[in-house]
This record gives sequence, structure tokens and C-alpha cells, in this order.
Amino acid sequence: MKSKDRMKDFGIFALPGMFCFFTVVMIPFIYGIYLTFTDWNGVSQVKNFIGIKNFVGVIRDTQFWVSLLLTFQYVILVVILVNIIAFAIGFLLTRGIKGQNFFRTGFFTPNLIGGIVLGYIWQFVFSRVLVGIGENTGWGLFESSWLSEPDKAFAALVLVSVWQLSGYMILIYVAGFMGLSEDVMEAASIDGASGWVKLKNIILPLMMSSITICLFLTLSRAFMVYDMNLSLTAGGPYGSTEMAAMHVYEKAFTSRQFGIGQAEALILFLVVACISGLQVYLTKKQEVEA
Amino acid sequence: MTRKMMRFLTLLFMSVFVVTALTGCRFGFASDPDDPNAVTEQVPIDTSVDTFPYDSGLAGTDIVLLNTKAEIQVALEEMAQVFEERSGVHVEVMPVMDGESPYTKVVSLYNSGNPPTLSILDTTDVIALAQEKAEELGGEAWTAEAEEYLTKVDGVVYSFPLCIEGRGIIYNKAVIENALKEEFDPSAVKTQEDFVTLLDRLVQAGIEKPVSMAKEDWSLGAHQLQYIYETYDGTSEGTQKVIEGIKNGEIQLSEYQRLNEFLNMFDILKKYNVAWKDPLGADYDEMAIDLADGKTAFWFNGNWAWPNLSEAGAQSDEEYGFLPYFLNNDESDFANQMIQGSPSKQIMMDGRMASEAQKAAAKEFLNWIVYSEVGQQMLVRTCNLIPPFKNNPYEPGDPLSRDIYEHVQTGRAFNASAIVPNDHWSVLGGAMQKYLADRCDREEFMQSITRYWKEQ
Amino acid sequence: MGKTRIGGNKRHIVNFLSMTGLTLIFIAYMFPFLMVIINSLKQKRDIIKSPFSWLFTIKGLSFDNFVKAFTQMDFLNAIKNSLFVTGSATILVTVFAAMLAYYIVRHRNAMSKVTFVLMVASMIIPFQAIMIPLVSIYGGTLNILNHRPTLIFMHVGFSMSMSVFMFHGYIKGNVPIALEEAACIDGCTHVQTFFKIVFPLLKPIISTMVILNALAFWNDFLLPSLVLTDKKLLTLPLSTYSFYGTYSADYGTIMAGLLLCVLPILILYVVLQKQIIGGVVAGAVK
Repeated sequence: MKSKDRMKDFGIFALPGMFCFFTVVMIPFIYGIYLTFTDWNGVSQVKNFIGIKNFVGVIRDTQFWVSLLLTFQYVILVVILVNIIAFAIGFLLTRGIKGQNFFRTGFFTPNLIGGIVLGYIWQFVFSRVLVGIGENTGWGLFESSWLSEPDKAFAALVLVSVWQLSGYMILIYVAGFMGLSEDVMEAASIDGASGWVKLKNIILPLMMSSITICLFLTLSRAFMVYDMNLSLTAGGPYGSTEMAAMHVYEKAFTSRQFGIGQAEALILFLVVACISGLQVYLTKKQEVEA
Repeated sequence: MTRKMMRFLTLLFMSVFVVTALTGCRFGFASDPDDPNAVTEQVPIDTSVDTFPYDSGLAGTDIVLLNTKAEIQVALEEMAQVFEERSGVHVEVMPVMDGESPYTKVVSLYNSGNPPTLSILDTTDVIALAQEKAEELGGEAWTAEAEEYLTKVDGVVYSFPLCIEGRGIIYNKAVIENALKEEFDPSAVKTQEDFVTLLDRLVQAGIEKPVSMAKEDWSLGAHQLQYIYETYDGTSEGTQKVIEGIKNGEIQLSEYQRLNEFLNMFDILKKYNVAWKDPLGADYDEMAIDLADGKTAFWFNGNWAWPNLSEAGAQSDEEYGFLPYFLNNDESDFANQMIQGSPSKQIMMDGRMASEAQKAAAKEFLNWIVYSEVGQQMLVRTCNLIPPFKNNPYEPGDPLSRDIYEHVQTGRAFNASAIVPNDHWSVLGGAMQKYLADRCDREEFMQSITRYWKEQ
Repeated sequence: MGKTRIGGNKRHIVNFLSMTGLTLIFIAYMFPFLMVIINSLKQKRDIIKSPFSWLFTIKGLSFDNFVKAFTQMDFLNAIKNSLFVTGSATILVTVFAAMLAYYIVRHRNAMSKVTFVLMVASMIIPFQAIMIPLVSIYGGTLNILNHRPTLIFMHVGFSMSMSVFMFHGYIKGNVPIALEEAACIDGCTHVQTFFKIVFPLLKPIISTMVILNALAFWNDFLLPSLVLTDKKLLTLPLSTYSFYGTYSADYGTIMAGLLLCVLPILILYVVLQKQIIGGVVAGAVK
């Protein structure tokens, strides 16, 4: 192929997308990294270079590490629950059940609404509706608002995230299961392979590429949870459910330590990058080349 | 079949919601025509007299007013419209949503090169931004009308005091009188002891838990806790002094009288809290309803709570008012006699990006609020604010603002603004929540305050 | 859709059980929406005091909330903005991302590899980390904020990585190079090959990505709130701003406004649902 053609191909196919991506995401991101080495506070006219002082500030900010630890717990729970539920429902919804299209539409509806609004709805459900049910039925579980106790508030956060994310992942798993040829499934049945064996030896390996994608998406979304955190618990009660992304935001704007907040965002990015990099590497190894 | 079902559902959705919304038809039983976002009980604005000297050269200028006081959004828009009709200056009122901090909004707007000409901000935000961004306003005529309510940064005035806000323990007079079968005179409650006696009598009369207390961190951290600074001697200078003292360790919290007194009062409120079973599950809107219905008799809050009360069914001719936040049993202590009332919201004017015409138009708008007959009325009646300006002859229409207004007029209010870091309310509000829910004791609570100030 | 299959009693039982399980989970999933719909028709007082009560047991059931939401949101104007922004951004990102992903799959050179890795990595950049730099570059330096095309451009930029990632996976797995080679022999140019042969093959993933991207654009709050400040340009979620008060939320209006926001996207989803399923099946058959 001639190099002129190559340039033309590049210009037509790759350039528009790359241009948007680099100018909107990469340049501000790099500029943001630069800002972590300055004392700019978001408002001032001058930016002085101050080396790694902001990163020292991050290390000293114990609350950040507490929130990061909490985020880890949250991510583990959410990723596991979302994927098991979505995988199971995705499987059921490709088995020719009556009304499966209706179900598919239904399970996806949580994703029709943006995170902030969703959080408000659930806040309403937890603090008013469930408490109302508790009062009328005497169920101890709902007697007091879940959002007023740290552990229950955390559980509420996990529950709502699972509720929302699983709809999205169901969609991807459904597509994955539909991509599996019917022969494979039928053959497995005829062979008399029973439930677990079938799942482990035949279905899982073939679904690995869907699993890789879903794990990656849930992992990164869970790590960066912000909207829901803000509108459901707002970090409360007394800051006990403040996740890393929310802490970063609070640090930069409520505590007005912009440089430290920006540096924390960068560290959060590195953490997520390492973990999801590892995850993709590990699950890719399991994938059956299609 | 399922597809048909879905199409049917969609059609149903569409026809029901869109059509009814479009035609504005309603069914069911008649509903009260109250509209929570519009300001309640519109007193007609008398527009017949308007002697304000509008500068016709400014007509056609566009300015933006960033509003961080969500409850007056609709009122401000109305005000802007009236101003535009008369002056030709277009004022765009830009709202800030809950969850989005005003400061963040302003900072991002400055970074976008598109800052609002005027921003309604909290005092701490003004102090943080003034010297970098704001226009000096010390030369404006209105400064003379509100001298005691001006905020100065290094001796310079950068902001316009929009309103006075007061807080304390709101009472519902009718509820108390119905329960006790006798006349209730708020000024007869002079000490903490008197207050507890009153509470006990109410309990005996059948109001099991007569107090509502918000669990929100801004209420606990800013409105309640800040009494410990403000009641030092009731002045802004004294407040500053005590904050410095705590910061540099001169004041030991465990020996600081006001903190102990404050916690005593807080414990009383806690004991009689209607949401005692789950204090952190208390709902703000429900508190308004409870007070209006008479399930409770008291609510710790400020005059900004009126729209909620009115929405809950309170009428503006009913008697609601404020009791002081009683700190001890000394009748002569000013803290037991006076209500805290200070200019909490300020308008800052951009001095960086605004054009000369915009600045002039913005100044005209501020002057219009202070000096024009229409602006004066709208500030008080449309926005329902308590004007800090001496020349404004109008009295607030709702009982809560009226009570604060009377306190201010008769010298029964103190104005002490605590200048604390911006995260004070959220960090120490969290500590207060813990204390409220009985998940920490006084000692641990004091440690969190000490730790917070040490980190500053 | 249901294809009848040969199976014994056991199969029936399994089907019945999974059906019941699904229905139960489904009801739990729908519960909050049920609450929203019921409460959108109530007055604030009833919402707070008896959120769970059914419509007929309370006094003021009405469509007031919808009327109010509709007027306060300036619904017609906002939906126009939302449609324009979401529509343009979705079309652009779909075309650009499909082409870029295709390029990356077929040209395995260093640059395309680096780009792909950067894109995947960028999917985990917290938005907070670029928020202020973004506005200071586009607002402070270039001064192009407060225009709808700017918002569209940014939506495209932000969703590019995710879309390329999804297209990349699909093209790698489902678009055989043999077809293109055949086309090449027929004398098609690369552009023709792409749009005539490859693009139609991408139908399933395109419908999925259109849904996902359109939803994200439609519902996005943070980015538009940074870019658009002019009232005439506000999108639907931004227009529900004023319902959330500083002290208390106006639940009834919020819920009514929410239903008004969701309605258009629900219709799109129901319409495209057919495409997705049909597409996925077509894709699976190959």
C-alpha cells in the first residue's frame, strides 16, 4: 500500500475521532497534571511551581485514605454482585422465556435516569417510603431510616449501585449470550452435561469477552461513583460513606484545597488504572479466541 | 405480543402525561392552589410611584445574577423582569442547584471566562474571592444605609448585604396555648430552666415530644454550633477573638463556658426531639408539617423556614416567633434575651471581566433595590427578605421575618458573624451528627473541634 | 420471540421457577419507579406524610405537578435543546468511533496501539480531574463555552473512548476481513468498503451504542452545567434545577419533571429495542 493512501486512510478514519478525544480528554488531563505541581487555587491569577508539595498534602490527608479504603470495599461488593446478578438474568433472558423482551426493557430502565436524580429517588424511598412501611408493619429492618446509620447507609449505597449497574450489564451479557451459537448450547444439553459442568466448561469460556468488558465497566464505574454518592447519602451520616471521588471533589471545592484535590484525583486515577489493567490482563488470558 | 404491549404502554405514557401536561387539565379532587416555589401570599406591589433616576444610557445591557438562595429564585426572576421593564437592563437570574456548591459554581464560571456580574454568596465565599475578583463597593451610597451590616475585607467593602437572617427556636403560639389552655407570652421564658419547665408542661398536656431538630449538617454545624463563637460577647470582633483562641490553643474547650452551656441546651433539645428514636432520619419537610399541625411546638431554625411552614399549611396571620437559644439560667445574660440576626447573604460584584456598562448596570440594580419605591417593596414583599437598609420602610409579611425584624428594631437581636473556613459546617456538622445520635460523648466531640481547628 | 423447544417436565418446572424469580426481581426493580409515578400525582404534604398510600386514599390527586414542571422547565424549549444536542452528538460519535475503531483493528501500527491504550486508560479518569482544566481551556483561553456545538463536541470527545472500545471488540470478533478483501478486488475504495460493507455489519453494536450514548448525553448533568449557562440553551436535566431547593426538595414537581425527562428516551428505547434484538440475532447468524 502506498504511503499516500495510508495518510488518506488515517485522515479519514482515525483523525476525527482522535481529534475529539485528544482535545477534550487528554489535553485537559495533562494540563490538570501540570496544575498539581502548582499552588493555583482555582481562582488566583498567578500559578507558582511548588514541586510535590500537593502530594505531601495528599499523604497527610488521612480522610482521603479512609475514603479510598471504603471505596475498595464498595467496589468489591458492587463488582461481584452486579456481575453475578447480570450474568444470571442475562442468561435467563436469552432462554426464550415468555415476555423476555419486556423484561429486558424493564431491567434496563434504571439506566434511563441520570445518577443524581436516581439518588434522590432512592433517598426518598429509604428515608420516607421504607420507614413508612416499617411503621405500619412493625418490621424492625425498616423502623429507622437506613441512611442514618453508617453501615446501613453503606449497604443502601451498594444496593442502589447494584440495582442501577446490573441493568446495563444485563444488556451486554444478553448480547454476549445471543452471540453464542444455539448449537453450542444445544450440544451441551444433548451431551448431558449438567448445570455446573456446562456452565464452567462451556459457557464461561465462551462468555469471557463479555465478562472482561462487564468487569472493566463495573470496576471503573464503581471506583468513580460520585453522583449517586452525593445525592443518596451525601457522604453521611457524619462523613461515613464518603467515597474517594466525592472526597476529591469536597477537598478541591469545599475545603478549597484545589491542588491537593487535583493530586488526589490523579492518584485515584492511577489506582483505578492499575487495578483495571490487572483485571483486563487476567481475564483476557482466559478468553477463547473467537 | 410483548412488542404490542410495549407500544401500548408507551402510548399510554405519552397520551396521559404529555396531553395532560399540555392542556393543563386536571382530575381528581380539588387541590389547594398553593405553589411552593412561588412566594406565598403575594402582597400587591404598588408601582404607581417610581422616582428612581434610571440611566437610559444603560438600556440594552445584559447582566447575570447568580442566585444561591434557591427559595427566592422565582421571586428574583420577577424582580429582574420588573427592573428590566423600567430600566431596559436585562438581568439573567442563574440558579445554583443543591449539591453544587456556590463557590464551585463561581470558580468554574470564572475559569470559563464567563463570570456572573453579580453573585449572591455566603460571607465566607465573599471573603475568599473578594480581593482576587470583586469590585470595590465602598463608594456606593447605600453603604451609609446599612453600616452595621457591611462586611469588610482588610477594611474594604466588596459586597452588598442582601438581607438579614435570624435564627433561634421557632414556636407555634397557638399550639402552646391550646395545649396549656392559657395565654403564652414568649418574653416570660427567660432562662433555660423556664424553657425546660415549659417543655415539661407541654409533655404533660399531651405533646409527647415538643421539639423538632434538623439533622442536616449545615443546621447542626453552622446554625447551632456557631453559637459557641457568636455568644462570646455578641459581636463579630469577639467571635473572631474566640476562634483565634481555640485555634492557637489559648482556649481550652473543656473549660470554655459557652461550649458547655451550648451542649447543655443541645441536650435539652435532644431529649425532647420528636425524632428521638432516629434523630438522623428526621426529615426537614416533615418538621415544617409537624410544627404547623401542632404535633410539635418548637423547631430550631431560621426565618428562611417560612416557605416550608406556609406550604405545610401555616397562615401568615398566625403567630409564630423565635425564642432565644437559652444558654444558662442567668436572666441578664444577653444570650438568653436576644436572637442572632446577621447579614448572611451578600452580593458580590465582578471586577475582572465585566465591562464598564455592565458594572454601571449592576450598580444601578443594587441602587434600585435600596432606593426605588418598587425595588424596596419587591425586596421585602416579593422576595420576602428582611432588608438591612434603614431607609426601607416596608415590613416583612410573614410572621417569622416579622419577628426577627421586630427584634432587630427593638434592639433584641445581636449581630455577630463568625468567619469560619468553608468546610467548618460539613466537618463539624458531621461531629454534631455523631453527638446527636449518641454515638460519641462530649469529650470525643470536643476533641473533634480541637482537631479541626488545629488542622487549619 | 419465544422459541418452543422440546423438553420434559423438568424443563417446565425450571422455566416456571425462573419465570417467578424473574418476576419477583423485576417488581423489586420497578418499585422506585412505581413510587415516582404514584407520588408525582400527589401533593407535597401527602408525599411526605404518606408516601406509600395509594392514589385513591388521599385528597389531592392531580396533575398540578406536571403542569408546574412543564411550565417551569420551559419544557418545549428544553426538549428542543436536548434533542439537538443528544441527536447530533450521538450521530457524530457513532460514525467517528466506528471509523476509528475500524482503523485501529485493521492497522496494527504503533500509533493505533498507543491511541487505543490511551483511550482505555482514559475511561477511568475521574471527571473531577479534568473539570476545571477543561473549562479554563475552553472558556478562559478559547472562549467558546455557552454554545451548543461546544457541548456536542465535548460529549463526542468524552464518549469516544468507551465507544471505540466497544466497536473495537465487536469488529475484531464479528467482521471477517475476507469480505473486505473481496470488495477490494471489486475495486471499492476504502471509504466505500467501510460504509457499504463494514458499517451494515455493525448494526447490533451500533444500536447498542446509540442507546447507551444517547442516554448518557440525555441525562448528563455535570458537563452541560459547566458548558451551558444561558437559559435559552438549557437541556432537560438542567431545566429541572430549580426544583431542588437549598433546604428542601420539591418532591412532587421533581418526580413529574423526571417523568417528563424520561419519556422521550423511553420512547426511543422502545422503538430501538426491535433494532437491537433483530440486529443481535442477525449478527449472531453471521
